[in-house]
Amino acid sequence: MMKKNKGKNPAPVMHKSKGDKFASWMFLTPTMIFLGITALLPLLYSLYLSFFRLKLNLPNAVPEFVGLQNYIKMFSDPALLTSTKNTLFFAVISVALELAIGMLLAMALCSDKMWARICTSIFLIPMIMAPVAVGTLWRMMLDSTTGIINYLLGFLGVPSITWLSSPKTAMLAVILVNVWQLVPWVTIICAAGLKALPGDCLEAATVDGATNGQIFRKIVLPMMSPVLTVVVMLRFVDAFKVFDTVYVMTNGGPGSATEMLPNYIYKQGLKFFDAGYSASLAIIFVVVMTLVTMGFLKLRDRMEENI
Amino acid sequence: MKMKKQRKLPTPDNIIGNFAGRPVRVILVVLSMILILFPLYWLLTSSFKVKAEYLANPPVLFPSSLTLDSYESVFGKDQLFNNFLNTMIVAAVSTIISVLLGSMAAYSVARGKIGKRARKYFGLWFMIQKMYPAIATAIPVYLVMRTLHLIDTRTALIIMNTSFNLPLVIWLMMGFFEQLPYELEESAMLDGCGFTKRFFYIIFPITKPGIIASGILAFIGAWNEFLFAVILSVNKSKTLPVVIAGFITDRGLEWGPMAVTAVITLVPVLLIVWAAQKNFVQGLAMGAVKG
Repeated sequence: MMKKNKGKNPAPVMHKSKGDKFASWMFLTPTMIFLGITALLPLLYSLYLSFFRLKLNLPNAVPEFVGLQNYIKMFSDPALLTSTKNTLFFAVISVALELAIGMLLAMALCSDKMWARICTSIFLIPMIMAPVAVGTLWRMMLDSTTGIINYLLGFLGVPSITWLSSPKTAMLAVILVNVWQLVPWVTIICAAGLKALPGDCLEAATVDGATNGQIFRKIVLPMMSPVLTVVVMLRFVDAFKVFDTVYVMTNGGPGSATEMLPNYIYKQGLKFFDAGYSASLAIIFVVVMTLVTMGFLKLRDRMEENI
Repeated sequence: MKMKKQRKLPTPDNIIGNFAGRPVRVILVVLSMILILFPLYWLLTSSFKVKAEYLANPPVLFPSSLTLDSYESVFGKDQLFNNFLNTMIVAAVSTIISVLLGSMAAYSVARGKIGKRARKYFGLWFMIQKMYPAIATAIPVYLVMRTLHLIDTRTALIIMNTSFNLPLVIWLMMGFFEQLPYELEESAMLDGCGFTKRFFYIIFPITKPGIIASGILAFIGAWNEFLFAVILSVNKSKTLPVVIAGFITDRGLEWGPMAVTAVITLVPVLLIVWAAQKNFVQGLAMGAVKG
């Protein structure tokens, strides 16, 4: 992001003026203060809490220093291991599906004609719906007795499935709902990326007699790779934060079949009232997410250089 | 994005679009439309069904009669109007604050005189801020809000939503500002136009598409926000998503009223997004393509 500026930096032309420098910092100050208070301080507070034991349900409880105990506890917490595995499984499968289907649909929708614009309008609906609403809607449709999905599957001879109350199908259902909501997002981003491809390149390839498969593999895919990397990064990070849909569809159940990390952290803190442990989990979560983000950014920079 | 500036050539429409032949393209488009629209059809009809039909087994695909029963029951009790107002106020106020402060910060990082290193670190900070999970600050925020007696107030929700939206707006607006030609600012500077004036009189007006796009994204984010809404509200400041989730946890299977609430939650944002579809899609793409 920053790199692109280097080449066209106008510094020699612009005169250094003190007023501008002051104003620049003044422009940043409100945001710095606001984010500092509402985001950084709570994060530091989380870090602080992670070294303490604090029961949230006792209003006058005093935090008791326990050192690294909360962090050590993580290593012997089987539920944490389960929810980490679930989150990884959920994130990898749903992002892979979203990317594949989204890219496919983006290519089909890559047009400036009227029909494509109408399709885009419809594609916008799932992704702007509240995830809570999407979750409840699908919960209604997946209901084992009154749900429409089982009814429709019945015509195909599929016996009634208890989607959300058996462990295997519950995870599948949560993934499918996420895919339903976010394939349109991937499609729209990829379609924008495809439209920005240089047309002459593609035309030259067709004139030279390249097959569609060759064009896709040799031109479209490599040129789209920076966009796709960002899409995967944003989706992957977002999938890790999944909370709303799981909360309304299964709340982690049945058992812990769909228990994901955000839901687990939430439960530790606000259901079992163990603020210290919840905070330590949150801190580790943030550290991992930050590393993942930075890894992706490095990857994208390298891809852009290769083009 | 760089490519866009090159001369406009015939769109790669037919080459990419018909990659697997026209029939495949038609099938893909039609199938995706059905898969997206059917759940929405189900939501909409469920909101108009009589109770016997939304709880029927087997389910009723085409309702025999449409009724406003569910709408009446939802609007009649449950302070739904208040919930709607909460959602609207929280989303609108946090959007205005985050767009104003966020675009100022973004302009400063993109074009301000803060030095290369500060530019890099601020960029990174806002980026990470955008990525990090909201759950990480849930408990401290809850504790602080409890101490400040802000639990169950709109103020608390406005503050937190602004906090999530700021990095989003900054990220997006930086993309828009970086695309502006430097000549524009240079000529303004030669005319003796200072940084602040430049921003408000020249830059802000011409980046209107970006402002609209980030404003809509921020509005939707706040409108649909659930985690903090559910943690920080008890009763008075409940927003629509919290009400929707409540149908499952508190009241069992009232699909009709649940569908009504979901429809009411969806319609306002849908109208906004459709009204500014071009800007919105551009903004979405900007976030990822530019990044």
